[in-house]
Amino acid sequence: MIDTKELLAKYEPGKNVQTITAEPQVRLARYSPCGKTLVAGGYTGQVRRWNVGGDSAEMPALTGHHAWIDGIAFCGDGELLFTADSWGQLCCWRGYAAEQPEVAWKNETAHDGWIRELAVSPSGQIVASCGSDGCVRLWNVADGSSVGLLKNGRDVLRLAWLPDGTLVSGDDRGIAKHWKADGTVLRQFDASSLYTLSRLQDCGGVHALAVDREGKSLAAAGLIPKNGGTLTGPPTIIMFDIATGEEKQRWKLGADNDAFVGDVHFHDEGFLSAVCYGTPGAGKLVYVAPGVEAPFFEKKLSNAHSLSWHPDGKRVAVVTTGPGSNGNGRPLDKEGNYKGNKSPIQVFTVPG
Amino acid sequence: MLRMVLRCCALLAPVIIFGLAGLAAADDAAPLHAQIDKLIEAKAGGAVAGPATDGEFLRRVYLDLAGRAPSVEETRAFLADPAADKCEKLIDKLLAGGDHVRRMTQVFHVMLMERLGDHAEWQKFLTASFEANKPWDQMVREILSPDGENETTRGSALWYTKRLEHYGENPVDIPGMVRDVGRHFLGIDVQCAQCHDHLFVDDYKQEFYHGMLAFVGNTTIRTDLSFPAVGLKPLDKKIEYMSVFLQKPEAVGPKLPGGQEVEIPTFAKGEEFQQPPDKKTKNPGVPKFNTLKLLGEQLPRAENQLFTKNIANRLWWLMQGRGLVHPLDLTHKANPASHAELLDLLASELAAHQFDMRWLIREIALSQTYQRSGVLAEEALPQSYRAALEKPLSSEQMLASIQQALGDGKPLAIDLSAKSWTDWQTRFDKALANPAREPEVGHNPTVKAALFLMHDTTFLGWLKPTGENLTTRLIKETDAAKVADELYVSVLSRPPSVDETTAVAEYLTPRADHREQAVCNLVWSLIASNEFCTNH
Amino acid sequence: MNYSHLCTPHEHALSRRQILGAAAGAAGALGLGSLLRPAIAEELKKKHKQVLFIWIDGGMSQLESWDPKPNTTFGGPFRAIQTSVTGVHVSELLPRSAKIMDKLAIIRSVHTKDNSHSAGVARIQRGDPKNRGVTYPFFGSAVAKLLGPGDSGLPPYVWIKPGSGGFIHGDAGFIGPKYGAVAFGDGKPPENLVAPPEVPPHDADERAALQAAANARYAKGRGKEMGEANSYVYEVARTLMRRQDLFDSTKFDPKDVERYGTHEFGRHMLQARKMLEAGVTFVKVNSYGWDTHGDNFNGHLSLMPKFDQAFASIVSDLDDRGMLENVLVIAMSEFGRTPRINGHIGRDHWPEAWSVAMAGCGLARGAVVGETNEQGTYVKTDEYDIGALFHTWFSCLGIDTKKVNYDNGGQPLPLAHEDMHVVKELLA
Repeated sequence: MIDTKELLAKYEPGKNVQTITAEPQVRLARYSPCGKTLVAGGYTGQVRRWNVGGDSAEMPALTGHHAWIDGIAFCGDGELLFTADSWGQLCCWRGYAAEQPEVAWKNETAHDGWIRELAVSPSGQIVASCGSDGCVRLWNVADGSSVGLLKNGRDVLRLAWLPDGTLVSGDDRGIAKHWKADGTVLRQFDASSLYTLSRLQDCGGVHALAVDREGKSLAAAGLIPKNGGTLTGPPTIIMFDIATGEEKQRWKLGADNDAFVGDVHFHDEGFLSAVCYGTPGAGKLVYVAPGVEAPFFEKKLSNAHSLSWHPDGKRVAVVTTGPGSNGNGRPLDKEGNYKGNKSPIQVFTVPG
Repeated sequence: MLRMVLRCCALLAPVIIFGLAGLAAADDAAPLHAQIDKLIEAKAGGAVAGPATDGEFLRRVYLDLAGRAPSVEETRAFLADPAADKCEKLIDKLLAGGDHVRRMTQVFHVMLMERLGDHAEWQKFLTASFEANKPWDQMVREILSPDGENETTRGSALWYTKRLEHYGENPVDIPGMVRDVGRHFLGIDVQCAQCHDHLFVDDYKQEFYHGMLAFVGNTTIRTDLSFPAVGLKPLDKKIEYMSVFLQKPEAVGPKLPGGQEVEIPTFAKGEEFQQPPDKKTKNPGVPKFNTLKLLGEQLPRAENQLFTKNIANRLWWLMQGRGLVHPLDLTHKANPASHAELLDLLASELAAHQFDMRWLIREIALSQTYQRSGVLAEEALPQSYRAALEKPLSSEQMLASIQQALGDGKPLAIDLSAKSWTDWQTRFDKALANPAREPEVGHNPTVKAALFLMHDTTFLGWLKPTGENLTTRLIKETDAAKVADELYVSVLSRPPSVDETTAVAEYLTPRADHREQAVCNLVWSLIASNEFCTNH
Repeated sequence: MNYSHLCTPHEHALSRRQILGAAAGAAGALGLGSLLRPAIAEELKKKHKQVLFIWIDGGMSQLESWDPKPNTTFGGPFRAIQTSVTGVHVSELLPRSAKIMDKLAIIRSVHTKDNSHSAGVARIQRGDPKNRGVTYPFFGSAVAKLLGPGDSGLPPYVWIKPGSGGFIHGDAGFIGPKYGAVAFGDGKPPENLVAPPEVPPHDADERAALQAAANARYAKGRGKEMGEANSYVYEVARTLMRRQDLFDSTKFDPKDVERYGTHEFGRHMLQARKMLEAGVTFVKVNSYGWDTHGDNFNGHLSLMPKFDQAFASIVSDLDDRGMLENVLVIAMSEFGRTPRINGHIGRDHWPEAWSVAMAGCGLARGAVVGETNEQGTYVKTDEYDIGALFHTWFSCLGIDTKKVNYDNGGQPLPLAHEDMHVVKELLA
């Protein structure tokens, strides 16, 4: 039985917060496995990087991508960084901590359109990508050659590897699937309450996905959509038993006028950490434990989109959005230029 | 065959002779209805229609005063009555009856609430007011300054509470409420006064709106009571606004158009309430400076010309089909009254009679202008009143008249508390009434209403023969002439012409083998005719 | 201070008679009343012009549709694609419309004043004219009055919308409630359209004849106006009854249904085509739910293709049937969406720089008017408010807004904002 008091003692974020402000906005940030670099992708085709520790200076951004970067993954051996964008390009960089990493290989048409996530297999040999073309594609880490194709049919929003080399995916209709690398579907998980058709609009889907260390539990998260347009609903995590496909538990993390769970992570000690965002300014960092009904930790943050635990287990970085990010008006900066938004990345330290 | 009997009020004719100026000196002693006719005829500008036929008058006065068409019994009795003063007697009889209370309640409900909503307490307030023939100024006082302690009148607060509700995403429409105070009780549309910058020269009128806003802008809905009620937040400073023309800031406290500005007293903090609010019970308290009470005292007064003219105009519209100022809430320089002297007269006389609405309605009903026929050989402008104007039937009048026409011929006993009646009324309102906030003042035929009369199964069900209803009686009657007579008297409150009788016989005779359906068709065609659906 | 919010739909009915013209209710040939000079009236009578007005309620993002700025700070995730007009690109979310760009006219330099829905929708549809103390009619009501119902016998202003139907008086503003919209909720026929079993067709005919005879007798010696208005609504009711095929989706060609899309917007657009084919003067189709303050990009990813297939299908179909010459097609919202991406991955309201798509009657083909800057934040070229578009549309329909006015009881009122003018580059 999980002892949430003990977990809190170890993992409750302390008062010490370091803020790295990313301007323009970023959505996704990930620590490298070595822990030296924080890599983030946003809306402008640039892969942003910061040194971890010391002054957390920003390193030169990696260019060559277009539009939105929603795929960031690492392969520890060879210091490889994989990035993917919303135009379908997949890129492998060697030496991600160097000033100017080299492009090991790239594929401009890895997918037709939006690549939603990247994940490297436990063996370190395959990098998987998924996207709006309804497929999960598997690529050889060394040279980018295609080694597999999993046809989902619907827009695949998220994916994750299990320790045994199988994969799970989550799509825009709230259906998660357990696959073998050869394309066989082993099982489906019904998280369709994370989806609704409102008038014309398909709303929701699996916006965050995580698998526990042993490959026994799957967390699919998003929101329970109320209606389309300005999409709102209670952010929700649904946990499944992978072997049976059954829903084991679900957590409702907010109110009707909140929005998505942006990211979810299974900690090695068995609890889940997640971040949520919502209508102007709402959002939080939250911990839930299987078997425990209510979250055992919550911290309000402004529109948090992703979280990443440092490999040393003592830090967690949360990408938030600066205040006043909404508005119908025409906010201008001091020089009279139209302003975009910023993403303060909050780095919390925990006792560990 | 009934003869057309000339309308009895021809007796009054000697009093008003076209253009006889010599009687001017006697005007002050002449009854109001006589003065009305004199002023109308002075501006007629052409030949006027003769008096309405018995049938015309009968149906018109029933619809106007009783809110329904007359029954077969009532029609036949009136048409056969030889008495010279039968019109006046009928008017008095109707004014004294329960139907009249219902009629006035319905008219004022639609006029004041404009289909925004309803409540049993509001109905109680209206019904009690009209049962007692409560003077209009007192009614307005009770509406503008509702008394939550008075169980009979407290429902008057619905006028405010419905206007203080949220509609969808929109904020509470305080400007709309301020505007309605002006429209309903003063006959002016203060909001639009601000936009008429090409019609109004001076800034003065912008003050109207803000002055009235100061009276009612702090009203809130009370959530602590089970009946409609309002609370009031204290007003501690003038309303500020920017002058459209002079581009300079202005401020005004509570002030009625043409009235004196009320000075806003200052209180020490915590001293503003005569009865302090209670956060626990959610009672908003009562401020010492009670602007609603002041409004109730200042607005409905005989000295307030806008107030008196407004009600006089509305009662004129109710009976005649058109306001002397038309539309009814649009008094301004570019929309003067068609008969300014007459409007002044009606207003001052009503005020002199303590705002007794029943009295004024009676006087209008007794006038030749009211009792004129609607048929005139040449076209005349409506505002000349050379012929009686056609008035559309309200949803309430339609239900009552259809039920009356298709029933057993006896006068309807309408029970407004009966669920069947309210269900029918809701059904009729859905098809025939205007959407909320669209005043039901003029003629507005819709495809929806037409399809309703053509196909609504509840209504069509009433055409089928049951008991002693009209269809049953018509099917049973073998004499063709008697069929036509019963049909026309029941539905149109008049005997049929020779041609009409022939037409009925010609229609029914070849359809003897499906007589029921043929009779239904005939009855339907008269109900759906313009003659039935219009108050003429 | 702007007072226009204070003038609510209860308009000044001072001279509705004058505005309605001689025959208030007549479904007559012209239905133009006292508005136009005889010469113009005759010209218009020759070819009955029609309008298809597609209202995308909530604010379609111009950056995810007609004016993409791919790979820029605010450009969003999507790519831009080529169209059938060289040098013109649209968002990848509009593949079918891209193929028929040569039939379309797009304006990218729209800058309007209101960034709210509640006021903005009405202001846009009323053309946001100068405040003259009256409530201007919605474009549909104006066209219903100016062009009349034509020969169809159907109501001149029809609105196909999700949700409930009914008769929407308020659209008509000061020109009189008769010119309101007849709305068909979810494209369904109005309540009571279908005759119940107790009124078989033979009896319906007899009832109509008996009613007409009664009305003729009653009319003697009375003013025509009220009687004619009453009769008119029965005529429209009976015409609608005869045209129930317009509401019967089982009668739609399954191939059409697939092309337009089986979703509600596709169904409604297909029904709109049938209404236009039946001769209805002004057909408005609404789509709701476009106000993507949150999750704008997944939202448009789902919404745009549905708009695209129906829009491209109807424009192509109208063209194939030779109707595009006489039908003015407009697709628009009440504003665009902010370039700035907010904290819940959405875009907010942006009237400062947005686009309107059009096709058909009187318009240039394959035209793109106006440009926004590189980031899509502001208009670079001449800006146009909605008033200018109204001038342009009236011109397309053969009405010269410099010469024709409304007559509000002797007070002439311009059809569109008097300080604005047609957008010449949009005209054929």
